[in-house]
Amino acid sequence: MKINSLTKDEVFRSLVTSANGLTEEEAEKRLQESGFNEIKETRKTPLFLKFLGQFTHLLAILLWVGAILSFVSEYIHPGEGMLNLGIAVVGVIFINAVFTFFQEYRAEKALEALKKMLPFNVKVIRNSRELEVPSRDVVHGDILFLTEGDKVSADARIIEDTMLKVNNAPLTGESEPLLRSQEPFKGELLISPNIIFAGTTVTSGSGKAVVFATGMRTEFGRIAHLTSAVEAGLSPLQKEIIRATRLIAVIAAAVGIFFFTLGFLIGRSFWENFIFAIGITVALIPEGLLPTVTLALAMGSQRMAKRKALIKKLTSVETLGSVSVICTDKTGTITQNKMEVKNIWTSDNQKTTQNYLMLTAFLCNNARFIDQEYKGDPTETALLKYAREAVGSVTAERISEIPFDSDRKRMTTLYRIEQQSNRTVEQQNINCCSTALLGYCTNFVSFTKGALESVLPLCSHVLINGEKTAVDETTKETIRNANHTLMDKGLRVLAFAYKELRAESLELRTENSELEKDMVFLGLIGLEDPPRPEVPEAIKKCNAAGIKVIMITGDSSRTAVAIAREIGLVNGDPVLIEGPEFIKMSDVELREKLSMKEIIFSRMTPKHKMRVVSLLKEQGERVAVTGDGVNDAPALRKADIGISMGLSGTDVAKEASDMILLDDNFATIVNAVEEGRTVYENIKKFITYIFSSNIPEAVPYLAYILLNIPLPLTIMQILAVDLGTDMLPALALGAEKPTSAVMTQPPRKPNERLLNFQLMARAYLFLGPIEAAACMFGFFFVLYSGGWHWGEVLTVNNRLYMQATTACLTAIILTQIGNVFACRTHKESVFRAGIFGNRLMLWAILSEILLSIFIIYHPWGNRIFSTAPVGLSVWLVLIPFMLLVFFAEEFRKMFLRRV
Amino acid sequence: MYKKILSAVNEHLNSEISARYALELARVTSSRIYLCYIAEKNVSEKAFRQAEETVRRLFLRAEDMGLKVESIFDTGDPVTKIREIVKTEKIDIVFSATRREDVQKRFYAGTIARRLSLNLPCSVALVRVVHMGRIHPKKILVPLKAKLEHIDERAYFTSMFAEAFGSNIFLFHTTKPATKFFHGELHLTPVEWEEKLPEDISHFIEHLNRYKVTHEKRLVPGKTGRHITIEAAAKRFDLVIMGASERSLLRSIFKGNPVEEVLRETPCDLIILKARHENK
Repeated sequence: MKINSLTKDEVFRSLVTSANGLTEEEAEKRLQESGFNEIKETRKTPLFLKFLGQFTHLLAILLWVGAILSFVSEYIHPGEGMLNLGIAVVGVIFINAVFTFFQEYRAEKALEALKKMLPFNVKVIRNSRELEVPSRDVVHGDILFLTEGDKVSADARIIEDTMLKVNNAPLTGESEPLLRSQEPFKGELLISPNIIFAGTTVTSGSGKAVVFATGMRTEFGRIAHLTSAVEAGLSPLQKEIIRATRLIAVIAAAVGIFFFTLGFLIGRSFWENFIFAIGITVALIPEGLLPTVTLALAMGSQRMAKRKALIKKLTSVETLGSVSVICTDKTGTITQNKMEVKNIWTSDNQKTTQNYLMLTAFLCNNARFIDQEYKGDPTETALLKYAREAVGSVTAERISEIPFDSDRKRMTTLYRIEQQSNRTVEQQNINCCSTALLGYCTNFVSFTKGALESVLPLCSHVLINGEKTAVDETTKETIRNANHTLMDKGLRVLAFAYKELRAESLELRTENSELEKDMVFLGLIGLEDPPRPEVPEAIKKCNAAGIKVIMITGDSSRTAVAIAREIGLVNGDPVLIEGPEFIKMSDVELREKLSMKEIIFSRMTPKHKMRVVSLLKEQGERVAVTGDGVNDAPALRKADIGISMGLSGTDVAKEASDMILLDDNFATIVNAVEEGRTVYENIKKFITYIFSSNIPEAVPYLAYILLNIPLPLTIMQILAVDLGTDMLPALALGAEKPTSAVMTQPPRKPNERLLNFQLMARAYLFLGPIEAAACMFGFFFVLYSGGWHWGEVLTVNNRLYMQATTACLTAIILTQIGNVFACRTHKESVFRAGIFGNRLMLWAILSEILLSIFIIYHPWGNRIFSTAPVGLSVWLVLIPFMLLVFFAEEFRKMFLRRV
Repeated sequence: MYKKILSAVNEHLNSEISARYALELARVTSSRIYLCYIAEKNVSEKAFRQAEETVRRLFLRAEDMGLKVESIFDTGDPVTKIREIVKTEKIDIVFSATRREDVQKRFYAGTIARRLSLNLPCSVALVRVVHMGRIHPKKILVPLKAKLEHIDERAYFTSMFAEAFGSNIFLFHTTKPATKFFHGELHLTPVEWEEKLPEDISHFIEHLNRYKVTHEKRLVPGKTGRHITIEAAAKRFDLVIMGASERSLLRSIFKGNPVEEVLRETPCDLIILKARHENK
């Protein structure tokens, strides 16, 4: 039992109030107890704590340890440059924290948009007097006074009504005004005609209602609660980066500790071991990775914006690429939302009956033709246009209307019809038709249109050859078959009927039952909302890419299936689930249905979407869902990717989504998925590139500890590579264009790792060792050229030593140039892909060379990185290594292609 | 299990609605119901009259329902007085509405609700009334943690409510996500989670089956409090029945307190049951 099933007196008793309203004192007391009638955000981790979290994960802790050790070293051995290093490492922590936070940050404004939908002041009755009070002061038991244009501030039970109509679009997505009444209703609270909800608007009439829920307890508050509390969780990329950094941190720490201990065992001093420990840690940690990932995502989001997909949260760029299911609306996303009449059907196929049908389509219609333009709902507009073109204008006085209602699935209008002079020959038919309708003692006629299952039971007759013939079961079957035929063509079908009313029965005109009883069935009109031309190709791409597309529509099953067939969404017999059936299904049953290959949800409302999304996610799918209404917001939040409509979407939906489609087009989603997949592929490319340089950075330290030679590469030089010369080429790899293969592979599996063995082996066991050989060669080349002999100790300020470390650094920079070209493809030859196909890369390499020239030849660069200028001979002996990296990779790829 | 039920009433509407739940429980358990108003010393005359009126309304309602009913009026500290009544009358369970202060104060420390829950020698049902449109709850959400105490009584209480209102029961268990150090969070399907159903919950289900209460169950990983409120809001539950928190104040400060979170953000009425009847 709910409040909608109670009588007015029972409502007063239940809420301990009366028609005179609460007293001010009682209202104040209730306000103290229940709190303000307002939308509040659920408690969440404050932003600053989220930011602080970026400083406390495992990798950050490892870097903190490195920084602290550097500061301790500076204290013990001042002047060795450890202070600079400590500061640099802290800088790395901050850079990583800022970039990661920026990646994950999204302005949360959905609740702000929701709050704007509630009124500031409302009229209530207290102590028998009408008062205007702030909306936030409304309490349960208050009597709301409702008039046209009012926004409703709380959920309330109607106790008085005078043609009261409300627009429930924020809750149901349906913009048709609904007639409300005070009569008890036994059904669900949500569809009860005696309930008005917070956030909705009174479109006409007036009434009074008793408040029974305020603030977050209202239906509107429920949406706000879900919008605020529901979180999609970490994106696949975030999870992968956590895993990757954890792995790297453990490797770095383990290698550091192992060789630190080994150093002790082979008799190295504590200080040497100390330097080594910090160095190896810094060398193995890819400091530039997180900034590069963030910037690559930012570039990806810009490319998506150019393709009309606006990304609101950077990590969503990559998440799109991992999507395995897209739950999409039909109208406006798959179709153009441009209705047009395609077929009409009458029992006799006679002109007279068709004219009756047109007259009904004209008059049972709320669209308008003003200033040579049709205005109104797309379906109504299409009907008006067709009818007007067929029969011209008809002047008639509308007496009353029973608006369209999604539960009744029909609307009815009552008219007094007048004949119009100045008609064309064609219009004479209508004249005749009107005359026929007016041929009795009255000129009052009710017209009804709606779903066949709603209209046909109201009809006792059918118009055949101008005669009213009693409807029998055979006729009904014929009509139903005609309806099915039209729906199978993908048309939205409406049935039409009329009824002549005698003058005496007009007293009953406001009685729905009288207007809609014993009607005469006229025929059917099939309307088409054509699919967008790009959609079939997009669906084909989804099929090739292994992405399942689930259509969720309010239309009938037959219409939905026909459209789905037309665009290639279904080929066999899809699983069809209608809204009422969906509500009754248990999670287990629904889960089983969702695992089917082709599935369509019809006669659904947006409130059902979140359940579909939740169940799919529980099954391990990565889900994208579209939505435009206020009540789509929770599903948009819950999905891995919530997609709102830029043209037709509400502000709430846009704020709750991760991506906004600027053209409302399904094909744009698929384009964005393609970009997302490309971004992921590119991330793998630049991770290979970045990780390759970790080996030539680490090997000098191993050589230093094992071979008892001067340290070939300083820690600041490592940072010069990781945060300097490597950054722009890595970013350029992030801008590689999509390859044709990207949308022909299935979505990557949830257990597929970013740092997999293949990638690590390529970087650490193939590319890295070549680069390490180059850097050690460069180091010894300079040392031996300068007369150094094995075992000779060189001070850190020794010019020869500084030139040798510079040669080591130069070797890394040069081999990384060869590497960046090699990393452009996994298997395909770079020559085939176009060696200069990525122009950004050429600019990046130029910048890399200029930066290395600054580091090597400019006094400031020399001072910061402890480098010294090297001769041309050093460059010349190292360039072959650059070519070696590139061609070794070409051979490896050729081998892979053949295997 | 319940033979005598006491419902604490005051001048607030919340307490009247809370008492209506108690009346329904009394009806299905054929218990005697005690409607009790303890006026604090500084209470206004108007508040006293309102509370008196509330008791009168409830009394009549109880009589209409054919219940054995008694009303008790007294003055003094509500907790002390109710404790005395519970001892004297051998009350089995006390119903009391939570008040705004319970929601505003962390861990509702020092509030009457918390004192009742801690100090009474019988079971206590704290009722938080938030939605006055759902008079008879048709869908009841029962969040359960892995280790349950007083399983018998909790199952009995839940079953009686299901019977009283003809409600459907949905058991809900949230747990920590499965993780591995290098792998991070593991994704388990609902079927895999089912296999991890804690033993106490299985016992609870056995009890429900014994009372012939049909139910559905759902296990999800995540933050307990947050997920309970999301589940309640998403599936439009009418009532949540959960056990009282067993967490110490210190643990609550560091690890959070799901009961407190649900109390603060519940989208529907909530009953927090502090069960005291030992398992048979």
